[in-house]
Amino acid sequence: MEPHRRIADNGSAPNLNLAGVADSVSQLNGHRPAAMDSDAFHAAAQRILTTVNTVIDGKSDAAKLALTVLLAQGHLLVEDVPGVGKTLLAKTLARTIDCTVNRIQFTPDLLPSDVTGVSIYNQASRLFEFRPGAVFANIVIGDEINRASAKTQSALLECMEEHQVTVDGTSYKLDEPFMVVATQNPIEMEGTYPLPEAQRDRFMARISMGYPDKDAEIEMLETHQAVSPLANVSPVVTAADVAGMIATVQQVYVSGPVKEYTVSLGRATRESPLLRLGASPRSLLQLLRAAKATAALDGRDFVLPDDVGDVAEAVLAHRIILDRKAAGAGETPHSVLHGILSRLPVPQAAPGHPTPAAAAAGSRNR
Amino acid sequence: MTIAPARPTNAGHQALGGPGMPAGRTGPGAYPWAIAAAISLAVCGAALSLNGVLRGWNWYWAAMTTVLVVGFTLAALRSVRAQPLLVTAGGFVALVGVLTLTFFRSSSFLWVVPTGATLPDLDRLIQRASETVLAETAPVAPNTGIVMVVCAVLGLAVILVDALAVPLGMPAASGTGLLALLVVPAMIKPQSVGVWSFVGTAAGYLLILACSQWFAPDGRLQGGSARSPGLMRRAVLTGAVALAATLVLPLAIPGFDSGTFPQGSRLNPWGASTGLNPMITLGNSLRTPDGSGRITYATNSPAPLYLRSVTVDNFDGDSWGPDDRPGSRVPLDGRIDPGYPVLTDEQVRLVTAIDAGSFTSPYLPVPYAPETVNGLGGQWTWDPATLSIKGTDTTTRRQEYLVTSAVPKLSAALLAQSSGPVRGIPDLFTRIPGNVPDIVRSTAQTVAGGAGTPYQKALAIQKYLRSSEFTYSLQSPVQGGYDGNGLSVLADFLQQKSGYCIHYASAMAVMARLEGIPSRIAVGYAPGRLTGATVTVAGQGTLPEYEADARDAHAWPELYFQGLGWVPFEPTPSRGVVPDYATETSAPSVAESLGNNDGLIPDTAPVPSTTPSATAQAVPGSGGGSAGDGAQPMPWLLGTAGALGLALLAAAPHLVRAGTRSRRLHPKRPDLAVPLAWSELRDLGTDYGLPPGDSETPRAYAARFRSALLGEPDGMDQDAHGAVASLTSAFEHHRYGRPGGGGFRVGGLHPRQVHGSAPGQGSGPVHADPAVQDIPAGIATVEASLRANAPLARRWAASWLPPSVTRRLGLLIGAPFRAAGRAIRQKGRAGARFGPRRPTSEGRATAGASRASVQPAAGGPFTPAPDDGGGRAGGR
Repeated sequence: MEPHRRIADNGSAPNLNLAGVADSVSQLNGHRPAAMDSDAFHAAAQRILTTVNTVIDGKSDAAKLALTVLLAQGHLLVEDVPGVGKTLLAKTLARTIDCTVNRIQFTPDLLPSDVTGVSIYNQASRLFEFRPGAVFANIVIGDEINRASAKTQSALLECMEEHQVTVDGTSYKLDEPFMVVATQNPIEMEGTYPLPEAQRDRFMARISMGYPDKDAEIEMLETHQAVSPLANVSPVVTAADVAGMIATVQQVYVSGPVKEYTVSLGRATRESPLLRLGASPRSLLQLLRAAKATAALDGRDFVLPDDVGDVAEAVLAHRIILDRKAAGAGETPHSVLHGILSRLPVPQAAPGHPTPAAAAAGSRNR
Repeated sequence: MTIAPARPTNAGHQALGGPGMPAGRTGPGAYPWAIAAAISLAVCGAALSLNGVLRGWNWYWAAMTTVLVVGFTLAALRSVRAQPLLVTAGGFVALVGVLTLTFFRSSSFLWVVPTGATLPDLDRLIQRASETVLAETAPVAPNTGIVMVVCAVLGLAVILVDALAVPLGMPAASGTGLLALLVVPAMIKPQSVGVWSFVGTAAGYLLILACSQWFAPDGRLQGGSARSPGLMRRAVLTGAVALAATLVLPLAIPGFDSGTFPQGSRLNPWGASTGLNPMITLGNSLRTPDGSGRITYATNSPAPLYLRSVTVDNFDGDSWGPDDRPGSRVPLDGRIDPGYPVLTDEQVRLVTAIDAGSFTSPYLPVPYAPETVNGLGGQWTWDPATLSIKGTDTTTRRQEYLVTSAVPKLSAALLAQSSGPVRGIPDLFTRIPGNVPDIVRSTAQTVAGGAGTPYQKALAIQKYLRSSEFTYSLQSPVQGGYDGNGLSVLADFLQQKSGYCIHYASAMAVMARLEGIPSRIAVGYAPGRLTGATVTVAGQGTLPEYEADARDAHAWPELYFQGLGWVPFEPTPSRGVVPDYATETSAPSVAESLGNNDGLIPDTAPVPSTTPSATAQAVPGSGGGSAGDGAQPMPWLLGTAGALGLALLAAAPHLVRAGTRSRRLHPKRPDLAVPLAWSELRDLGTDYGLPPGDSETPRAYAARFRSALLGEPDGMDQDAHGAVASLTSAFEHHRYGRPGGGGFRVGGLHPRQVHGSAPGQGSGPVHADPAVQDIPAGIATVEASLRANAPLARRWAASWLPPSVTRRLGLLIGAPFRAAGRAIRQKGRAGARFGPRRPTSEGRATAGASRASVQPAAGGPFTPAPDDGGGRAGGR
């Protein structure tokens, strides 16, 4: 065991595949990335979205949400029928950023070690060396994640939550930024392993691509005939830029009323008679992070209740479980969340009568 | 565990109540004394206005003593840091003490402690006060009873004002206590409240406000708004403007100073016709615009017939009233005997059929001097001294009766002969009342002193009163403050030389007594008008029917002549008919034309000429002329006042809305400008039919507002769209942005459209950092745009019946009901919680909740119990 560990400790000593990446990553890991200023943030975000939109027609919302999740340091689950561009979205987003991208095609025979990496015996050095798996990249595309067995899926768990991989008792840090974009097909369920709740909870947001509208589809047929649109995509931001953007998002201010709103939204899902399982505290944390990224993308340095409401369905819908009766009545998580949002009072502080939180903030300010 | 949720609210109450507790905790200093002085000043000022409700000023010292003692007892208690409840209780004790000292000294212990013997005294005084209130009109004589009640009320007012201003912390509301005091004179007095009283009250009230603000015993006041330097100046300015407006406004608007409201004495629910004291109700009866209490009668008397119901013979005291003499009354079952010898042989017998109709009074109107009355229902008695007939258990309402009466056939010659000394009538009618005002004495001396016989004296007095010096007016006594009766009223009347029958009659009666002629005042009805109908009376054939109503109510003097009995005179100009015997002998044409018999009942020939002309003159004269002068503007004034009031009422929502807006657009603290402007925008939306929803974020509401209420964003309404967008953005910054506004920003300074931005930020320039000072202009632009885009009805409603105001009003009105509903629900829940089955389910919920925090899925079905105290308590 000793030799293993020693080599593992030198784990940053890279193998051939990851050489270049490791260099760039090590620059980032050394210090905390500086927050990007507003103009640069906006320009970078605009470049990414424009590029994505040239590839995927008529899906600007999905593109924006994907970027939001990236900037909020979350993971994205894209769920839809085959052939609507799930994988294309993930690949495009990955391509626009000058960072490492790995793609894992999940199949029933995929093993956990294929994902995380494995220690192999180097006959030359007569030592066990760690060979990083596909998860060692800035953006990991997990295609058809529900086709893999449960144990392979759960191999992703640790990576996603803790941004590290532990093999043979040794932990290896993953690169920053790190994002898993998984796709899954809800239609063809035969021979699949649906994601368990615990794992679903690790995805910050789930989006459905949906079919493009008529014009967008016509345009798609026109432009994508000859050559793959991905071919023309070149990176527009660096990984360091993205790290800076993430730092910027982290500094977005959340006021008391917004926190109050978020918490009351969570409580409302827990108290709703239509739901068997409401939003967890972790999901509220992720909701707020997504809201911060939304606010930053919108050019603000503070979060509005609107931001929370905008991402609430994407963030919460895959975490809540409908009551059996409600499901029988034709409710969907989206419809229930929509109903809750439309009834949830926005904290309205009349001037002169601030809410306790606002008053506290105000007094602190003074 | 189950009461755990209730505890915080309790604590919160105490915490809220804490700062409102007495100033004593932090050292009261001069505050209690200052506010006591202010309150005393205000109440004493308000009490000034009661002069005129009570006659004279003698009562004022008692009132002032009470106010000062109570006020400064409160201050003293507060300065030794007593509990607020104790302070108020002390105020009551002081009030009782000072009242005892002032009014019940004899029956008290140590002058200030009331004893058992005080109670009967108190009862007596209250009885007296209630009699005064019931039976007299303002100004009433300041008898002990009414003064005690006034003092007690003033003392209570001090305690009330103090309680509102200090422990309850609502100094502004203390004005209601003062207002309650001012309402009485405003309703009753012709001069309304009066300038000095108003100034005193207003000054005291302003001082109360000033003290409350300056010393700010209430922590909330001090913390909430720092005292800005210009406050004093502003307060003084505002106060001065308000004061000036209240003084100038009545001059500009008719109806406030010309005795319109003093007619409020007509509000007297004891009305014109219960006849508790006919002397009192007479003036009010005369002033009724429509005749009520209509009496019809048919008589064979060729002369105008006076119907008499009661007499007043005791001129002592401050207020005159009929003396019923219940002890000496005789049941009405036989012939009525006048009780004095009538020497003349020529008695004229009259038959009169009277239908009292809706006239309601215990006193029966009959022509003098009744001999028999037939057809009455119920028990009736008559007074041998005055021949007035009174029901013991019944009233005149719906009575129809036939009266036979007899009067001596009088003539001037007969009266002139009757110069002998008066004998055989009670001393009562000759007694000269004490404290007759000098003016009455001197006038009587001047007018009648030179005459020889009683008849000449009477004629001289009557001539004097009917001279052109005197004018008949129903209004001037009211305006002059001497409406009513009594000797002091008489003095005022002789000075003002204007009044109505009661004044003339009493003047003549009192002056006659001073000249040695027995006299009394008869109260009843002057001759009425012919209705044109006829009534058939058995034995008399058909008789013409007359009608009289409240406007014909009348009083006249009756003088006693030895051998002739009681002889009526008519000193009131333009009312009634002067009897022939009482007309001036110096008017030969009249005397001659009436022939030699000169009787009260003239021959048939002159009657047609006299009666119609007299009645024709009398009625229009009374109804149209004199009453018209005073009363004609009355409906107009009332109408104006009513219209003004209605207009004010109708404009109230508009005014409230305008006030709210100006307050919001010109806030005292600049940091509140944005949220206040946002509230204004929401209210504007509400006014134009787009109330914001509870679950609507500012941005979503702004988007809805712009799409629903404003026109095209690129068209004429571009400015309005821009204003809404910038205000929304500014409000979001204020509400959700980094406090202080500085520090890090993400593109916050630069208006920009991020592709696919949040809904609502559609188009139009969005200034994230707007010029806050442009808010009023922006709101004005938005409103102009709203008006341009709204239909007429909506525009009108937004201006005059703004839903934002009416909704708030509705909420306010509904609040008690909602609170009650909540309380009932809570009670229901509490009951259910302590029910027998509940603990087990609660235990389950607790277990579930605690497990749920570890592993959400394991919690089992979450019951939909939003406010389940048990669940929450368990989770903690």
